[in-house]
Amino acid sequence: MSKPDVIIVGGGVISCAIAYYLAKAKVKVMVLEKEEIGDGGSSRNGGGVRQSARDPREIPIAMYAINNLWPTLSEELGVDIEYHKKGNLRLGKTEEHLRVLQHNVNLGLKAGLELKMVSSAEIHELNPYVSEEVIGASYCPTDGHANPMKTTLAFYKRARELGTQFITGETVKSVILKKGKVAGVKTKENTYEAPLVILAAGMDSRVIANSVGIDIPMQKILLEALITEAQPIMFPQMLGTAAADFYGHQTDHGSFVFGGSTSLENYVSDVEGRETKSITAPYICRAILGYFPCLSKVNIIRTWAGFIDESADHVPVLSKVDEVPGLVLTCGFSGHGFGISPAIGLLISELIIKDKPSLSLEAFKYDRFKPKG
Amino acid sequence: MLMKRYELIVIGAGPAGLCAAIEAAANGMQVVVYDENSRPGGQLFKQIHKFFGSKEHKAKERGFRIGEKLLDEARELGVEVVLNATVMGVFENKEITVMIEDRVEHIKGNEIIIATGASENMLPFPGWTLPGVIGAGAAQTMMNLHGIKPGNKILMVGSGNVGLVVGFQLIQAGCRLEAIIDASPRVGGYGVHASKLARLGVPFYMSNTVKEAYGEGSVKGVSIVEVDKNWQQVAGSEKTFEVDTICIAVGLSPMSQLAKMTGCIMEDSPAKGGLVPVCNEYGETSIPGIYAAGDVSGIEEASSAMLKGRIAGSAISYNQGYLEENIFKENQAKYRSSLEQLREGMFGHKNKGRTDLLNTEEGFEISLNLLENGFLADVEIAHYPGVVSQERRKQGIVPVIECTQNIPCNPCQDACEKGCIKVGQVITNLPIIDGTAKCTGCGMCVAACSGQAIFLVNEDYAPGYATVGLPYEFRPLPQIGDKGIALDRSGKAVGEAEVISIKSAKALDETAILTIKVSEDLSMKARFFKSSKEVSL
Amino acid sequence: MNKITDRTFTGEEFVSHRDDSVIICRCEEISKGEIRRAVYDGMRTMSEVKRYVRAGMGLCQGQTCSRLVKNIIAKELGLKPGEVEIPTPRSPARPVSMEIYANDGMKK
Repeated sequence: MSKPDVIIVGGGVISCAIAYYLAKAKVKVMVLEKEEIGDGGSSRNGGGVRQSARDPREIPIAMYAINNLWPTLSEELGVDIEYHKKGNLRLGKTEEHLRVLQHNVNLGLKAGLELKMVSSAEIHELNPYVSEEVIGASYCPTDGHANPMKTTLAFYKRARELGTQFITGETVKSVILKKGKVAGVKTKENTYEAPLVILAAGMDSRVIANSVGIDIPMQKILLEALITEAQPIMFPQMLGTAAADFYGHQTDHGSFVFGGSTSLENYVSDVEGRETKSITAPYICRAILGYFPCLSKVNIIRTWAGFIDESADHVPVLSKVDEVPGLVLTCGFSGHGFGISPAIGLLISELIIKDKPSLSLEAFKYDRFKPKG
Repeated sequence: MLMKRYELIVIGAGPAGLCAAIEAAANGMQVVVYDENSRPGGQLFKQIHKFFGSKEHKAKERGFRIGEKLLDEARELGVEVVLNATVMGVFENKEITVMIEDRVEHIKGNEIIIATGASENMLPFPGWTLPGVIGAGAAQTMMNLHGIKPGNKILMVGSGNVGLVVGFQLIQAGCRLEAIIDASPRVGGYGVHASKLARLGVPFYMSNTVKEAYGEGSVKGVSIVEVDKNWQQVAGSEKTFEVDTICIAVGLSPMSQLAKMTGCIMEDSPAKGGLVPVCNEYGETSIPGIYAAGDVSGIEEASSAMLKGRIAGSAISYNQGYLEENIFKENQAKYRSSLEQLREGMFGHKNKGRTDLLNTEEGFEISLNLLENGFLADVEIAHYPGVVSQERRKQGIVPVIECTQNIPCNPCQDACEKGCIKVGQVITNLPIIDGTAKCTGCGMCVAACSGQAIFLVNEDYAPGYATVGLPYEFRPLPQIGDKGIALDRSGKAVGEAEVISIKSAKALDETAILTIKVSEDLSMKARFFKSSKEVSL
Repeated sequence: MNKITDRTFTGEEFVSHRDDSVIICRCEEISKGEIRRAVYDGMRTMSEVKRYVRAGMGLCQGQTCSRLVKNIIAKELGLKPGEVEIPTPRSPARPVSMEIYANDGMKK
């Protein structure tokens, strides 16, 4: 096969989405993935597709994705990715919680998002299963959720059908420079040539970028989630809490997917494998039952863990690297990449093809990280 | 202290788990065993047949009794056996979470043994999701633990030991076994297990697989079809059976999920039955302090599992400072040699999967008829060392042992006080009858043979008549004077028979010795009795 | 699984088999045909197939069907069954109700 125009490192939803939009525009793409498609955060996240409670820099991208891309994605990719736009309730039990929620509402409104505080009565109309202890919530009617595994694999399938060359089992080690420009990548055993390389490999992007003198300040954090057996359909919304102790939704299948964190994550994430910790799932269950006591008898089928690539300012690096012509970085999604993935795919493809993405990516430049003060 | 800590956590109270716990506790360790079932003993508790091996392997004892004994022994040694306790996960730092009643407990161990056994393989075919298609192990649980007949008319798929042994138990439970089929051209389990079925008239269809199970709402019938050398179905060779149950006995797979969860190195080994943790000779995985024992580390049988448990328990005792090095080495050597004994013979590790064996280790021809049809042909019988000459038979009662494959097993030798039976040091040897020894006809050998392959033949009974004493494990027992027909090794009726004695005794352990009178020409043919009172067997 | 696999689509048509309708994953009622179709669509590992069609995601977490799914994938790809890696099982090894799970004595 002839030399690709673009090599994307990493086989997750970001890579597959970028590959798809590029392939649609007849760009020759090669994707190199070390394990399997979607094996990282793409298959392990909670499936939230939200605009609310995002950093203001991300909100326009999230809105763009929800207004223009998500609603027709299933049709476009030929796979039902189970996208639903049924709203997002972020619940509070104390006055302090409500203050946190109000703050998010203010930020969202400033960015033009439909977001408001709702009363206990309104909450129960939207979701009759919520505990009586909940005193208020923020509600974003245009947020929702989708199936992250199917979305990733759907982008993959369609990009593949459009001619993208996916190679798995290849661990990219470094970027190759020739005459000052990107010329390709080196894996453990092979060399692949292309004039443009996109690093979309989560945490692994960092060590690869280091090979050409670029660093992305990130840390890896192990987060966990769990899934229940199928239940009759109860709630359509995405759910979260002001206390940030759990979030989740009910899937088309009927099972509930919930994630949550114990606050010990920063200190126990220096591990190789994605083994779950013994204390996290019980904690998440307590958190869930604190808001949805009706789920007490529902069986948990499985728990899992995944690494997020938490950037120093909690939003991704989406940027050409001017000092290394031909290098593009799309990583550091900090645990909220899935919801904006179609937009990232489109914007990056626009960045590459015509150097003019539909939304400004200035806020996401790679060289923005500065010391405080 | 939030998390309780033991010196040794054993997951699974089956033969491997209990033996590991016993071994460790006997050396002074503080041990806890968790099992998700309400009854411990793993597979042992539903195994009503007699085990093979030698005395140290608990030969001729019935599985469930071995289970009971192990449990008692564990408890006496202070092992904490917690039942209805489901281990949910094995985490870093040798921590487990276990669900007990209404809560989850976090337990830590200095060492952990995973002894979770195996689960049954499934065979998909059109109609396999109909009610009535069940695993042979499930059928065994239903019958032997819950006293429920799995069905009335049954097809057994798979002729390994599980299929053969459960097939026999189905008949004991009062079900009708229509046939045994296997895609392989040869019977996979012990010839003696197959013979037990063949002489009851159960037909063996080798090189056959299930084509389709059919029925409205549940299994009403099944069609089977021949397969050729390439496992392709041969059109036009279909046969149908009217059955309500199809038992699947196509092998076991290790239940190694907890092991894999630990992150230890695993291997997908067809010889071991599937995905198993890679272990050293003591059963230790690639994670120090986490061991695997029993079927979870490789499918064998309960006798091997017990030894693997002991080996692990002993290694752990040594690691934790409870065992002197010289005693540790002694134990290991003893257990290992015992384990190797079980792995000898025609069905052992070295010979697994071989289809080219022509002779036993001693040089006797292996019966092809036994392998292809499930029974020894009449003409083959005289060749084996367990069958004495006609000259000797005419002198009076003598055991006739129709054991023709090298299997590690010797309870017959110990059973005879008179020294009629010799197996020798190498327990895979075919048993030899010493014709000069004086057989008293006590029947202990008949009952001791776990393969039910020993018969007491008396060609000196009366002019024109002979008697055949055979192992009988069905109920109700026939009465003296009952008339019926004698069946030969293939289950064919060969002549009239009359019950002249029926012997039950505690020492025979539920194997009655049924002696029938037949015409003298049937002395070496008659191998089963069907009373004329019975409608069908 | 470190084998290098080129997944480029070669444009061949999907071929139906006579027994495509046989259910393989009983918990989720996934047929052989759906699994074969997933491989055709580009899925090359058990995890990918699982995430795409749900085979092995049901109550029994693949206890019944893993071996069968593995064999089907291997056959489609011309591999030995041992070359297809089984996905990692995770806690809980058996289903546990939320209220029992929550009751682990670690509440602050």
